[in-house]
Amino acid sequence: MGKGQYIAKRLIQLVITFLIILTILFFLFRLALPDPTAALVMDGLSAEEQAMVRERFGLDRPIVEQYFIYLRNFMRGEFGLSFHYKSPVFPILMEKLFNTLALMLPAIFVSYLIGPLLGVLLSWKRGSNIEFTGIIGGLTLRSAPVFWTGMIFIMVFGIWLGILPTSGMRTLPYEASSNLDKILTLDYLRHLILPMFTIAIYYLGLPMLIMRNTMLEIMGEDFIELCQAKGLSERKIMYKHVARNALLPVVTQAAITIGLAVGGQVVVEVVFSWPGLGREMIQAVRTSDFPMAQSAFMMMAGLVLVMNTVADLLYSYLDPRVVLKGGDK
Amino acid sequence: MAKNKKGLKERLKYLKPMLMNIIEPFKIIIKDPLGRIGAVILSIIVLIAIFAPVLATHNPNIMNERIEGSVIPFDEDGNWSNYQIIGEKPLNEVAVGLEYELAVADGGFIYEREIDGDWIEYDLGQDLDFLAAAVYQDFKLVGGEAGLILFQNEDGNWEQLDTPVDTNINDIYLFSRDSAYAVGDNGTFLSWNGQEWSQIDSGTERNLREISFISPDDGIIVGDRGTIIHYRDDQLEEPSFRAFTDATFRDLLAVSYYNENQAIAVGERATIMVYDGEDWYTDDSGASRSLNGVIHISENEAYAIGLRGTILKYDGENWETIDRITRRDYRGITFAMDRGYIYGVEPYVNELAPPSGDHLFGTTHLGRDIWSQVMYGTRTALMVGIIAALVVNLIGATVGLIAGYYRGNIDNVLMRIVDIMYGLPLEPFAIILVLIFEPSLWIIIMAIGLLTWRTNARIIRSQVLSLVERPFIKAARVAGASDLRIMLIHITPNILPLAFLQLAVAMGYAITAEATLSFLGLGPPQIYSWGTILHSARLSGAWRTAWWWVIPPGLFISVTVVSVFLISRSLEVLTNPRLRGGRDNAPEPEEPKNLLPNEQPNN
Repeated sequence: MGKGQYIAKRLIQLVITFLIILTILFFLFRLALPDPTAALVMDGLSAEEQAMVRERFGLDRPIVEQYFIYLRNFMRGEFGLSFHYKSPVFPILMEKLFNTLALMLPAIFVSYLIGPLLGVLLSWKRGSNIEFTGIIGGLTLRSAPVFWTGMIFIMVFGIWLGILPTSGMRTLPYEASSNLDKILTLDYLRHLILPMFTIAIYYLGLPMLIMRNTMLEIMGEDFIELCQAKGLSERKIMYKHVARNALLPVVTQAAITIGLAVGGQVVVEVVFSWPGLGREMIQAVRTSDFPMAQSAFMMMAGLVLVMNTVADLLYSYLDPRVVLKGGDK
Repeated sequence: MAKNKKGLKERLKYLKPMLMNIIEPFKIIIKDPLGRIGAVILSIIVLIAIFAPVLATHNPNIMNERIEGSVIPFDEDGNWSNYQIIGEKPLNEVAVGLEYELAVADGGFIYEREIDGDWIEYDLGQDLDFLAAAVYQDFKLVGGEAGLILFQNEDGNWEQLDTPVDTNINDIYLFSRDSAYAVGDNGTFLSWNGQEWSQIDSGTERNLREISFISPDDGIIVGDRGTIIHYRDDQLEEPSFRAFTDATFRDLLAVSYYNENQAIAVGERATIMVYDGEDWYTDDSGASRSLNGVIHISENEAYAIGLRGTILKYDGENWETIDRITRRDYRGITFAMDRGYIYGVEPYVNELAPPSGDHLFGTTHLGRDIWSQVMYGTRTALMVGIIAALVVNLIGATVGLIAGYYRGNIDNVLMRIVDIMYGLPLEPFAIILVLIFEPSLWIIIMAIGLLTWRTNARIIRSQVLSLVERPFIKAARVAGASDLRIMLIHITPNILPLAFLQLAVAMGYAITAEATLSFLGLGPPQIYSWGTILHSARLSGAWRTAWWWVIPPGLFISVTVVSVFLISRSLEVLTNPRLRGGRDNAPEPEEPKNLLPNEQPNN
C-alpha cells in the first residue's frame, strides 16, 4: 500500500470513528434524559411557553429526526444553542479552545524540550545514582496529581512569596481586540508561568523515560559500533547519532499528548481559573447546559482523534523502517 | 462434554499452572529492589485501609470542639489582647481584688492567684458549675448552682455557707467582710451581714443575672425578660420594666453601674440599655450577637463583650466594634483596681487548627479531623482502584483474548471498537457521565472501566497472537479441543501474569482518576476520599493558608500511585521475557521497553 493510500485510509477511519462517538453521545444523552427541557425550562413557565421553548430548540420532533438535524448542523459547524448563554455554542467554544491551547502548547513545548534532554543524560549515566533518582523522580512526577501540584504552587508562589498571579489568564479587566492581542502581553506571560509549569512538570517524565529507553535500545545497534570504530567522540555519537534517532518516539508521543492535553487537564484550568475549554465544560455540567457540554466534549474527542492520527502518520513518515500494511497495527 | 465426566482431581490438574502463574508475578516483584519498595508501600496503604476505623482518631464527620478557660487581660495601652488559657473549663466569672484574683469555672473549678503570681487550681470535684466570684482583700466568695456559696477559710480550703435558697447563684457583689449581696434564678436576692445569708424579696420570679453598685445603698439588678431593678436605700424600686420608655423584653445578662447618671445593661441579641440618671433607653451598637458582659473603665470608656469574639467599645456616645482577637464566645468582662479581664469561653468549634497531638493533620474549616478523613479516604481510593482495575481487566482481557484467538473479522471489529475508545478522553467522558447520571463512586468506576480496557485489550491481544502460534496450542487444536477449552485452559494461564501487570497499571490510573473527579466535585459528597478532601479544602477557600489540609491527601495519592507504578515497572519483564534473570539494581541496556506503565496515557 502506498503512502497516499495509507493516509487516505487513516483519514476515513478518523471520520468514521468521530461519527460513531458523536452518535453514541447523542443517544446516550437522549436515552438517559428523555426530556432535556426539564433542565432548560425555568419554573413558572406556562405549558404553552414550554412548548414554544421546546419548539425553538427542536425538542418536539422525533428522536431520529433530531439526530439527523443534529448531524446536519454539526457538519455545518452549527453546534446548537447554549442553554446557559442563550447563544450559539461554536464561537464560545472556539475562544475557549484558543485559551486552552495558549496554556497547553507552551507547557508541552517546555516538557518536550527539557524531558528528552534529561532522558539523554539518564541513558548516558546508566547504572549510576543519577539514573536511579531520575527514574524514581520521573515516576513520582507522574504520580502526583496535577491539581495538587498546582495548589501547592499557588500556595508557595502566589500566597507565601506573593510573586505571581494565581488565577485567570489576564488581570481583569482587560480589553483585547483579538485572541492574538490577548496573549501578546507581559501580563499573560506572568499568568502563564504557574499553570504552565504545573502541567510541564507532569508531562516531563514521559518523554524523559521514553527518550532514555530508546537511547539504550539504539546504543545496542550495529551502526553505533561503526561510529565508534570510526573514532567519533562519545559526545558526538550521543547527540548526533543516538539522540537524533531516538527522537522519533518522543515526537509521536508529543503529538498524542497535545490531543490528550486539551481534554485531560481540566483540573488545572479549574485550579488556576483558566478560562479554557475544560473549565467551560465543567461549568456546563454544573448548569446542565447540554449542548455546551456535548460540543465541548466532541471538540476534545475530535482533537484526541486527530492528534492520534497525526502521530500515526508522523511515525510512518519519519521512520523508514515502518512498513505500511493494511489498517492492522 | 467429555470434561464433565472427569474427576475433580483431573480438573485440579489444570488449576496448577494457573496458580503457578499467579504466584510468579509476586516472585518477580520481590526480586526487583524498586518492586520491593513499591510492594512494601502498597502493603502499608492496604493495612491503613483495613484498619482505618482503628487509626482514625476522630469521627471524620464530627465538628470537633475545644473547651478552655481563658482570659484576655486589659493592658497598659488600653487594649484587650494577649489571649491566655488558664484552665480546661470555661470561666464564668473573674473577680479582681486588691491582693487576689479569683476565677470560677464550670465543673467545680476555682482558680486563684496573688497579683502577678501563678494561678492555683482548685478542683472541688463537684458536678456543679460555679457561676459567681467576688473578692475583698483576702475574703473570697464563690457562688454556684443549687444555691451554693463558698468562702475560703484560713487554711485555704473552701467551706460552704448556709443559704436559704437552692436556685443558681448568678452574681455576688462584695463590699466588705460583713456586707455582700447575691442574685440568682427565680428572683433570688440575698444579703450577707457577716454571719449569715438572708433573703430579700425581689418582687419578681424572673431569673436575675447580675448586680452592680455604686455605693452600698445604690445598686441595679438586671435579669431575664428585660428586668431592671433599682435597689436604693434598702428599698426596691418597683421592678416594673414597663416604666421605662424603651422597655425591652429580651433577657438582660449584665449591667455596669458607674455613677448616678451612668449605667449600661446588655443582653440577648446585642440588646443595649443605657441609663441617663432618670430613664433607660435602648441603644444600637451595630453588633448582632448576644452580649454577655459590660463594664465601665472610666466616664467615657466602657466595653461590652459577647459571642463570637465580639468586643464593643463605648465612648459615651457611640459604640465601636473592636477587631476580633479570637472567634470564641466570651462569657463576661470585669475591671477593678486598674486591672481587667475578658473571660470565658463557651466550647467552640476547633476550626482550621494546625497539626497538633490531638489532630495529627489539623482540622478543616468545620473543625473536622483531617487525619481521620485521610485514613477513611484510603479505603475509598483502594476500593475504587481495585474494583475498577478488575473491571478493566475483565473486559480488556476478554476482548484481547477473543480478538487474538479468532483473528480475522472478529479481531478487526473488536480493534475498531478499541480505536473508538481511544478517541474518548477519560476525564471529560466521566464528567459527561456525571452530567447524565448522578455523582457516585460507581459512575467513576464505570467511566474508568469503560475507557481504560482499551490498552489492556491491545496488549493481551498481541500476547495471544504469539501464543496461538506456539506448538502446544497447535497440538491441542489437532487433538480436537474446543475453542473455549483452548482459550480457558491453555491460553488463559499464560496471559495471567500479563493481566496481573495490567491490574497494577489500571489501579494506578483508577486511583488518580477517582481523586481527580472527586476533586472536581463529581464524587459522592457523603464519602471521604482524598479527592473530596481536597475538593472541600478548595471550596472553603481556606486551602490557601491551611497547608495541613492540602498536603496530606496529595501525598497519600502520590505515594500510593508511585508504589503501584513501581510494582508494575518491575512486572514489565513479563512483557519482555528477554529481561528474565540476571537483572539487578543497575539497569542494563536491555531495560523494559515501557518504563512507564502505559505509553498511551489513559487520561
